[in-house]
Amino acid sequence: MLKPLEVNPLKLSQPMGALLAFLGIKNCMPLMHGAQGCASFAKVFFTRHFNDPIAIQTTAVNDITAVIDGGDYSISEAVKNITSKVTPELIGLFTTGLTETKGDDIRGVASILQPQHAMVYVHTPDFEGGLESGYAKTIEAIIEQLVEPQEQIEQKITLIPHVSMTPLEVERVKEQIELFGWSVFALPDISESLDGHLGQKQGALSNNGISVAQIQELGSSHAVITIGSSVYGCGEKLCTKNQKMQHLHFDTIGGLKASDLFYGKLMSLSHVSQPHASIMRWRKRLQDALLDTHFILGGCKVVLACEPDQILSLSSILTEAGVEIKAAISPTKSDMLANIPSNHIIIGDLDDAEEFLDDHTLLITNFHGERLAKKYHNALLMRGFPNYETLGNQLKDDTLYQGSVQLLFEAANCMQAHHHI
Amino acid sequence: MMVNKKQIKELLNESACTHNEQKKSSCDKPKSGATSGGCAFEGAQIALFPFADAVHLVHAPSTCLGASWETRATPSSYDGENNTYLGYSTNVTAHDVIFGGNQKLEDSIEYIATNKNPKAIFVYETCVTAMIGDDMDNIASRMEIKYGIPIVVVHAPGFVGSKNLGSRLAGEAVLDKLIGTKEPMEIHPFGINLIGEYNVTGDMWQYTPILEKIGIKVVSTLAGDGRIESIHTAHRAKLNVIVCAKSLITLCRKMEERFGIPYISVSFYGKRDTSNAIRSIVSAFKNKELSRKAEEIIAEEEEALESRLLPYREILQGKKAILNTGGNKSWSIASALQDIGIEVVATSIAKATLEDIEIAKQYVPILIKSPANEQAKLIDEHNVDILLAGGRSLYTAIKKKIAFVDVNQEKKVSYGAYGGLENLAKDVCAAVQNPVFRVVGTPAPWEVSHA
Repeated sequence: MLKPLEVNPLKLSQPMGALLAFLGIKNCMPLMHGAQGCASFAKVFFTRHFNDPIAIQTTAVNDITAVIDGGDYSISEAVKNITSKVTPELIGLFTTGLTETKGDDIRGVASILQPQHAMVYVHTPDFEGGLESGYAKTIEAIIEQLVEPQEQIEQKITLIPHVSMTPLEVERVKEQIELFGWSVFALPDISESLDGHLGQKQGALSNNGISVAQIQELGSSHAVITIGSSVYGCGEKLCTKNQKMQHLHFDTIGGLKASDLFYGKLMSLSHVSQPHASIMRWRKRLQDALLDTHFILGGCKVVLACEPDQILSLSSILTEAGVEIKAAISPTKSDMLANIPSNHIIIGDLDDAEEFLDDHTLLITNFHGERLAKKYHNALLMRGFPNYETLGNQLKDDTLYQGSVQLLFEAANCMQAHHHI
Repeated sequence: MMVNKKQIKELLNESACTHNEQKKSSCDKPKSGATSGGCAFEGAQIALFPFADAVHLVHAPSTCLGASWETRATPSSYDGENNTYLGYSTNVTAHDVIFGGNQKLEDSIEYIATNKNPKAIFVYETCVTAMIGDDMDNIASRMEIKYGIPIVVVHAPGFVGSKNLGSRLAGEAVLDKLIGTKEPMEIHPFGINLIGEYNVTGDMWQYTPILEKIGIKVVSTLAGDGRIESIHTAHRAKLNVIVCAKSLITLCRKMEERFGIPYISVSFYGKRDTSNAIRSIVSAFKNKELSRKAEEIIAEEEEALESRLLPYREILQGKKAILNTGGNKSWSIASALQDIGIEVVATSIAKATLEDIEIAKQYVPILIKSPANEQAKLIDEHNVDILLAGGRSLYTAIKKKIAFVDVNQEKKVSYGAYGGLENLAKDVCAAVQNPVFRVVGTPAPWEVSHA
């Protein structure tokens, strides 16, 4: 019997992706248009993952407003109550399954409220898509509604990271591009808001990130760099704001070959023939790390259960050291899954992972993998949302030469320790 | 029975709630843009997921369960597959929203009934499936006949209200479908039900062995370490014991009316409250021998606890604390802190019900109405040593260079009953002695003025 339901779901919802995008904007109040529980679940989820307060409010639709309100009452009430306490630079309005089922006209409501309050609206029902699509839709909405059209370009680059990139990864990639002489703006920029720093104010708003003023000016970027196939469309969208802007897209920047491609493109964009010395140094370290770890990782069987862009990124790194991807399980469909070298590409849940697990296999997934590791005695590396079990999730780095080195060592050490048990 | 307005109204106007003549803080409709708590579905989930021998099927799109499964530490001693930590969702899609989710729900129930071996299936209605009008009761009753196990539909979609209301609705579903449907082999003279005890971090296991030693039998629980088999026979218990949470008071009132079972409300946090809880339970039975035995065991337990607490007391004696948390924790934790020798200077009542405020008054001299404004001032005025609060207050403690305990964080060990008080003492001592708060508060070299 084909499984008609999800057992131990891997899928996270579109509104949760929207929330993450808005959290990378400075002094933003993400406002989830739905019943109070949607916002509460998302808040607790990311608070536990990042170990930091998460800014979010809810329009708290109830059984009465669900039927008689077209959205304008609960949204304007919410905005009134929020702005009576704090002064957000942006209100990020996004919908849920409930408010899309009733069919609220959030564009209409936003157009009424926008004269007084800066606001971006986006449709993110949780009965469609997943974390990646909710995040990408939100970035597109931000570009569409905030970025001003431009005709001139400046010495500046917009970076659009995919949803599974950690705050440290966003920061590192920004720094790498800066080494070529560009000023870099990430949209969204969670490297300063969700990086886990001790701030004076544990405020109700997102405390850092890209500012609304900076977003408005992104149209003058010389180029937009998108990382991950889920955000390709966001780069295309930004290019519509300025015909001179170039779009550099990378499905992944994990592993030696993908990193080579990334730096190669940056070199020709920047007209330099040799990158910064540290980049060349890290490439040599990665070459060495690949050779050091291939004894352990060669032929090692790995099961990946993550968001599609993260699956590609991790598999790009690990397969270079000879890892065999036994199965890849993604919560949602994605075109790039066809690029994963595995006989078992599954759109499914963690229940589907179980048939591939045994004590010789390394499972890479979120903290729910712990229970599976107890059951099947497989090795486990925790990646993706949510991870309530290990600390420092915000400072993991699996990108470019340096991050690839770290992932290879971590995976090899994990297998090594597993065999010693 | 669909989402039932009459039932919800009755639950919100519960006559057994003392606060109902004045305000209904926890039962009010949530305010747009100024709400932080969970929804009714979450409340139902909290109340029923601890039944480890039943499968919990959430009829919803991906947020409801995708973000919430395997999050609550409610251990179970069930030796079959522990369903508390598993996630079953129909994963409603746009197709289902348009054409209806009935078929998917039916297929999902069939899949679970044939592939798993649950003692019951709880089916949770959520906002979207309530809106699209799936006929869940009809499907459940047909499947129940086909597979011969109880299939209980819980009508607590998120938008009907708060967590508290959801727990109540879950209680109603259990009362309607499960309680009183089987007769036990024997009726214990001192049988009790534990209501609203979810065994978070094993809290319940801190005191159930003590109750058993006294001669009290736990007939069933709703639902910490719960079993479907025993909840069927809950109507043959002699007393309902509501543990801390008040949300299931309606269930207890109805069980009193229907089955003549009286109920009491107790807390098992701290030494005094635990001893008082045991006394309240025992005195409800009006049995001299039982009361004598209880006093004997309370004395034993208290003595043993005191000797275990000695090393901690030496460190904590005379230390002053401020407590900033919500609900019944505003007094139950205060009481526990006092039991380990800490002076609780003030407690926050910003998120407490009127009932909780009344009780808090008996424990703590100063009640804080607005923690954001008053907390820092009170720390200075009273030379406070420890701040126990949620993560948002961390910076206040760092700035004041005092110890901080995050009381709202998901805890890993139990603070319940006598054994749990020792855990609390251990944790508070560790915080007080930890240099980390002073180290972190050290100014950076570029912040020091070179005058």
